[in-house]
Amino acid sequence: MAISVVMPALELMQETGKVLAWRKKEGEQVVKGEPLLEIETDKAVVEVEAPGEGILAGITAPEGAVIPVGQTIAWLVLPGEAVPAAGAPAAVPGPARAEAARPAVAAAESSAPAAGGGARISPKARRMAREHGIDIAQVRGSGADGEILASDIQALVDAKGAPAAAPVAAGGTEALGIIGRLMAERTTQSWTSVPHFFVVREVDAGALVDAHKKLRESVEKARGVKPTQTDMLVALVARALAKHPRMNASWTGAAIRLNPDVNMAVAMAVNDGVVAAVIPKADSLDLGEIAVQRRDLTERARAGRSRPADIAGGTFTISNLGMFNVDSFTAIINPPQAAILAVGRIADRVVPVDGKPAIRPMMTLTLSSDHRVVDGARAAAFMNDVVEALREPEKWLR
Amino acid sequence: MPEAAVRELTFAQAIKEALAEEMRRDPKVCILGEDVAEAGTPFKVLSGLVEEFGTERVIDTPISEAGFTGLAVGAAMTGVRPVVDIMFGDFITLTMDQMVNQAAKVHYMSGGTWKVPMVMRTTLGAARRSAAQHSQSLHAWFSHVPGLKVVLPSTPYDAKGLLKTAIRDENPVVFFEDKMMYKLKGPVPAEEYTIPLGLADVKRVGRDITLVATSSMVQVALGAAKLLEEAGISAEVVDPRTTWPLDEKTIVESVKKTSRAIVMDEGYGRYGVAAEIAAVIAEGAFYQLDGPVKRMGAMHVPIPFSPPLEDATLPTDRTVFEAARALCSRS
Repeated sequence: MAISVVMPALELMQETGKVLAWRKKEGEQVVKGEPLLEIETDKAVVEVEAPGEGILAGITAPEGAVIPVGQTIAWLVLPGEAVPAAGAPAAVPGPARAEAARPAVAAAESSAPAAGGGARISPKARRMAREHGIDIAQVRGSGADGEILASDIQALVDAKGAPAAAPVAAGGTEALGIIGRLMAERTTQSWTSVPHFFVVREVDAGALVDAHKKLRESVEKARGVKPTQTDMLVALVARALAKHPRMNASWTGAAIRLNPDVNMAVAMAVNDGVVAAVIPKADSLDLGEIAVQRRDLTERARAGRSRPADIAGGTFTISNLGMFNVDSFTAIINPPQAAILAVGRIADRVVPVDGKPAIRPMMTLTLSSDHRVVDGARAAAFMNDVVEALREPEKWLR
Repeated sequence: MPEAAVRELTFAQAIKEALAEEMRRDPKVCILGEDVAEAGTPFKVLSGLVEEFGTERVIDTPISEAGFTGLAVGAAMTGVRPVVDIMFGDFITLTMDQMVNQAAKVHYMSGGTWKVPMVMRTTLGAARRSAAQHSQSLHAWFSHVPGLKVVLPSTPYDAKGLLKTAIRDENPVVFFEDKMMYKLKGPVPAEEYTIPLGLADVKRVGRDITLVATSSMVQVALGAAKLLEEAGISAEVVDPRTTWPLDEKTIVESVKKTSRAIVMDEGYGRYGVAAEIAAVIAEGAFYQLDGPVKRMGAMHVPIPFSPPLEDATLPTDRTVFEAARALCSRS
């Protein structure tokens, strides 16, 4: 049975999506998970993967079209199968469709054994292709038996990079990439329509630094990735958020919606702007899981290959500029979220401890909140718990 | 001040100097084995030692490898530091119980109360027209056993520094010398030095492919690297120097840099040292590998007596060069 390709909803508030480019042509065989098209939402550009296996047919949304979310824009059909008429019931995503799709997969495999088998490729080349978003099906290998080698990928990366390397016009204006343009639109919209207010707390980060040192090795041993201080903050702030549902809420335009899950967005610097990648249910994940997810999200974001789920559904954002030696800053809220926490660097300061001057590693946290959703007292109470969590990180992470 | 000329010794002289120095330094160090005294071994490695140290410390034994190796294990447990000489590495089969079930285990089974500070020196390598029972390289067997350290020097410098460390080690060390390398000359400083076990040495720095090579294969790897250089391929040669402890870090870091590797060891390739090192590379550098890790070692046959056939069983500069060039896709 034909599988419908629909314009996905990446955000709770998203109404439409724009088709930027089809990665496959009509009549082309695709396998599940292959990049099918690129779409632009009001937040980012993402790749949409094929929901199943079949031949791409019946594209109704040309490149550039703006389509309501949920609308069918193409079909994946079996060889010889007709494209269902408009309005015909589409196979719905979910277990029922998976059942129906299974025989189709088998049929496709037996009729075209080579499809999806792919060329032989070295582990290094495969890693590089993934990092640079190169479709290996399009790469001609130079190995003795046609294997794709790292040098083949590098050549494509170099070729791709050449024209992109000159975005600066002679007059000194810089052409905006898609992420840059979206960033400009979204921040303007937020800054001019969301009533921001700011709450600032200076905290002693000594316990955080100690706990980070202590946990770094054990997490690396167990999960193969070193947790960063940002990972610690994600874990701790998510746990504090779980106690303050209003901080984890959204302004719907007429009311306040309390979000059931704490989905922590982390602002990440990428080539031409910033991407807020989401770690879902961060309050229930341990540090190792957060570190693994954050690493994967970062790799994809840097390569410009974030998946729809990577940037969808955030309920609160952390932005850490400590690594850039920023002492403190205020951040712009990412609607419909109600707040964003701006984290400065950890630096030694002279502070009074028991009535005497002492040198302590201090950090400044600045919370930006939407006054339609929270007020000063609520923001302050939340910050109190964040500070408590930073004072006893290991207790909160337990 | 004019620079002192670099002193050169042969591999055999370096071994003898290490033994002589350690015997002077510690009266508990002694040598036992077949034809070690007046004969100075068939390879003349020990010539002159009996004259300096006497037959009490350079002891000729009957042809009884199991017997005198057991003697050495017991003596070592009482504080003597014997250096056992097993003339041909093929004969270690006779010492297996003493080494594997006794020497390797005593320290562990006594909770560290007993130590076995002995060294077994023996040989490896083919190409000497010695036929199937005198040409094998069986160091993988001991490398497989926890409790034994295994050393594979490839230059006179390494041989002296590593042997001194082995003699001073508090537990059993097996020291394999390539028979064909005894006449190899190289710089050996006159001053005292030692080399720690478990530290690989990058014998040649390169960019495009890593040749991990042990013992006799190091010279082959260096020869192949020269040929590769003429073909525009820059090969790095890494010599682990000890198979246990194994310096995995240096090996993996090199392959991460070059993305390709051939592991060369004169033992049999199957289930051998080269296989183990290849696995270490696959685990440590998988996402940097741009081709399969290749093993090169002795052909999987009893080493033939016929010279042309014997030569065909071993990797050469040329065969390694061809394999490396194919891996780099420049054939």
